[in-house]
Amino acid sequence: MPFFKTIRWVVWKDLISEWRTRETMSSMLFFALIVILVFSFSFSMDQDAARQLIAGIIWVAFTFTGIIGLGKSFTSELQNDCLESLQMCPAPKGAIYLGKVAANFLFMLSVEILLFPLFVLFFNLDVIEAVGTLLIIFSLATLGLAAVGTLFSALTVQIRAREVMLPVLLLPLAIPVMIAAVEATRGALSGDPFSFYSQWIQLLIIFDIIFTVVSFWLFEFILDS
Amino acid sequence: MINRIIRQIQRYKGWFGGAAALCIFLGLYIGLLASPPDYYQGELVRIMYVHVPLAHTSTMAYSVLFFGSIWYLWKRDPLVDNMCQASASICALFTTLALITGSIWAKPTWNTWWTWDPRLVSFTVLLLILGGYIMLRRLVDDPVQGGRYAAILAIVGGIDLPIIKFSVEWWRTLHQPMSFSTRGVSISEDILVPLTLMSIGCWLLFAYMVMVRTQILYLTDLLHAKKGRFLSQTHFSQTTP
Amino acid sequence: MTGLYTRWALILGATLLLAILTYQHYQQHLSTLSMGTLLGTPPVTQPVRIQGMVKSGTLQGDVEHGQATFEFVDGAASLTVEYQGPPLENIRELKTLVLIGRWDSQAQVFKAQDTALINNFGFVAAAYLISVMALGWMVFAMSQRVMVLFKEIKESKLYEPEADSLGHKE
Repeated sequence: MPFFKTIRWVVWKDLISEWRTRETMSSMLFFALIVILVFSFSFSMDQDAARQLIAGIIWVAFTFTGIIGLGKSFTSELQNDCLESLQMCPAPKGAIYLGKVAANFLFMLSVEILLFPLFVLFFNLDVIEAVGTLLIIFSLATLGLAAVGTLFSALTVQIRAREVMLPVLLLPLAIPVMIAAVEATRGALSGDPFSFYSQWIQLLIIFDIIFTVVSFWLFEFILDS
Repeated sequence: MINRIIRQIQRYKGWFGGAAALCIFLGLYIGLLASPPDYYQGELVRIMYVHVPLAHTSTMAYSVLFFGSIWYLWKRDPLVDNMCQASASICALFTTLALITGSIWAKPTWNTWWTWDPRLVSFTVLLLILGGYIMLRRLVDDPVQGGRYAAILAIVGGIDLPIIKFSVEWWRTLHQPMSFSTRGVSISEDILVPLTLMSIGCWLLFAYMVMVRTQILYLTDLLHAKKGRFLSQTHFSQTTP
Repeated sequence: MTGLYTRWALILGATLLLAILTYQHYQQHLSTLSMGTLLGTPPVTQPVRIQGMVKSGTLQGDVEHGQATFEFVDGAASLTVEYQGPPLENIRELKTLVLIGRWDSQAQVFKAQDTALINNFGFVAAAYLISVMALGWMVFAMSQRVMVLFKEIKESKLYEPEADSLGHKE
């Protein structure tokens, strides 16, 4: 099974190099911490205001840190001409894409899981019952971001001003994920019954499926030279 | 095949321009002078005669960009790529104008310049995507690579836009129930005539503009090739079978 | 080049004609007098249009059958209106609207025959001007660019590959 083997090797490669340098994760974590601090300074929040705003703040922090991780995912390949090797590699390009998506998904989700307790601590959230649902929401939304983000990370890596272009191209397209993630998180945090926000989870699932398939197909044209 | 069709249409583009000018002047005359004011909106309904055609045309321009991009990735026809690039910048112009005229209409009607209405949001996002598209094309040095990347962006954006509109619609109904309906216009005979004329005129104008713009890109390539700056892909593919 | 400019002169002329016609139409049928001007000038015989607001608590009469009297305010100025005309469906107190009628200077009463919605012609004009000018300018610039490119291509010399070190051309 060369296809699944390729996916496994790409993920393994990314995890190993991340384990050796700890570059991506640490920069994402520090950036996210700063975002949280800036938010808590810029809104002087009481308990009620925090409940209203927290879902939005969580997702702004997660998206921006996610963009840092996504950008690193392909810029790290620029060293030692690794990108050319990936292009020339006889493995199916779609498998490389899926491997990259899986690696980005793992990085982003683990940063989110590490950060979430800090949000709970800083903003006095009450989350014991909602943890399971929140985990599902986080995974689905992160998968959506990673699916589109990996495509655009590969696309912007070979152009000028890549650090600016990735968010400029990615954020408008990620609006449905943002809306759905914020609404579902708000619902879960305020303890609404699941049926109140299940539509947003459906939207996330639909987005994930559509854009994984579309990007899987389009990725071939990026690495093709 | 599509290459030949574009070339054929190119040859008759003057007719498109003339017909567009005729339709638009007639539409402007009827819209400004000959048609009666609307019962509810008064004279303001006249803004609709420019706003609605502009908005329609910009969605049409994006569909041209979307299908053109798919075709380009499939067949790699440089002329289609030029056409996509042309329709992107013209689509950006039409979208901007549609947003401005919509805003001008909204101020006296809803007493606000801006509201988070699904259509407005999706048009703004459309403008952002087009801005990204145009920037992307400028930032890539190799024109072939740039065309490919831009096509990818246009395809992803085209699939995303309906989802964006849909999700903003949901989000709006959840938070603030719409205090006013977006469809402030009930279509009557008086409105229909100038609206149709202007719509047809704008579509023809868009077709004309795309052709002229494609021609500009083609000629610029030709000039570069003649000066020996680089071998033009457009013309290279013409000489090789 | 001249063909292009003739064509655009024609288009510009047609646009200007349309603008002048629209302006005249506006002056004759849509513009409103301010109340101060109406009271200050000698009595006019033809119907005039004034814009103002129905003062609260003054609307009297049978509105559904098209008869009403009310005070009409515009800033500091105000006047009494006797309305007689088509049924007033959308009139109520504090409503801003345009009245069409004559000023009776003897009785100090404005005899209105009809109403119209307030016209925000400024907004309409802005929308039209912006879109027509932007589109027109864009199309003009594009056609001009095509002409310039044609000329440049005709004038530029064909590229000659440089001779290599041995004097051979590629």
